[in-house]
Amino acid sequence: MNLTFGPAPRHDTPGKNMKKFQTRSLVLVALGLAVVAATGVAQESADAVQNAGLARQNLRPYWHVFAAYSLVILLIGGWAVSIARRLKALEDRLLD
Amino acid sequence: MSTAGTRRAAIALTLAGLLGLVALYWMVFFWVPTEVNQGVVQRIFYVHVPAAWTSFLAIGFAALASGMYLWLRDERLDRAAMCAIEGGLVFATLVLTTGPLWGKIAWGTYWTWEPRLTLTLLLWFIFLGYFMVRNATEDPEKGKRFAAVVAIVGALDIPFIHLSVIWFRSLHPEPVVARPDGPTLPGDMLITLLFGVLVFTTLFFGLFLFRYAVEGLRSESDLRARSAA
Repeated sequence: MNLTFGPAPRHDTPGKNMKKFQTRSLVLVALGLAVVAATGVAQESADAVQNAGLARQNLRPYWHVFAAYSLVILLIGGWAVSIARRLKALEDRLLD
Repeated sequence: MSTAGTRRAAIALTLAGLLGLVALYWMVFFWVPTEVNQGVVQRIFYVHVPAAWTSFLAIGFAALASGMYLWLRDERLDRAAMCAIEGGLVFATLVLTTGPLWGKIAWGTYWTWEPRLTLTLLLWFIFLGYFMVRNATEDPEKGKRFAAVVAIVGALDIPFIHLSVIWFRSLHPEPVVARPDGPTLPGDMLITLLFGVLVFTTLFFGLFLFRYAVEGLRSESDLRARSAA
């Protein structure tokens, strides 16, 4: 069984062939691992950048909507409290 | 209306307004769909526009009461105008704070000197100026008359604010509800907006009546103090 890549060397001994096969296999595996690692690292960094961007895009409007709806409660509530305090002060003054 | 009657009406309207506000928040966050182009930030629309409408209503009401005060010299009309202006200042502040929060996402800036923003800021200064003019004179009666004129002049700003987006190049979109050919908003959004307008108007009149009752009591207190002296 010929396990080498490309045409088999006709004049090499079986021991030499096996060594070449192992070396080439190791190089291929190493290259494969390097490619996988490089792809993984690239993917991870791209994800991080993309996720951060999406988070910024998605969360920022939520914060603005939250602030706007809180302001409604604060300002209208503040006006109501201010009126109630003035009303109470006047009622107290009239009772005196 | 008697002071007790005014207070009963104020309590009823304010409670109705507060319940309506809770319902409005539910509609905005759980019922109305998200607008396709602007996303979630467009939901500020449902408080921004009703607040603007209420501030216009307040200055219009104050101008009417002020005009009648200048004609009839009835103190109750002056009090009503002052209370409406105070409410108008609150709602105009809401417009000028919720708008920039929306604008930062939609336009990329909190503020720009475009016609509608500038005229709305002018309206806010008119609300503030009403109180400054009122208290600037030594004679209170003169102050009331000057303030009445400020309210009437302030109401003239409303048509300019509304039409500024048609007359001038503006970042604000053209009207989507008050149009000659009818509203262009989808049904769900229009219902939520109109409900918001109803809620803010109810809250305004409820708190306005409370404020009016306060001024009634103040007047009574001043009268007692004068007669005791």
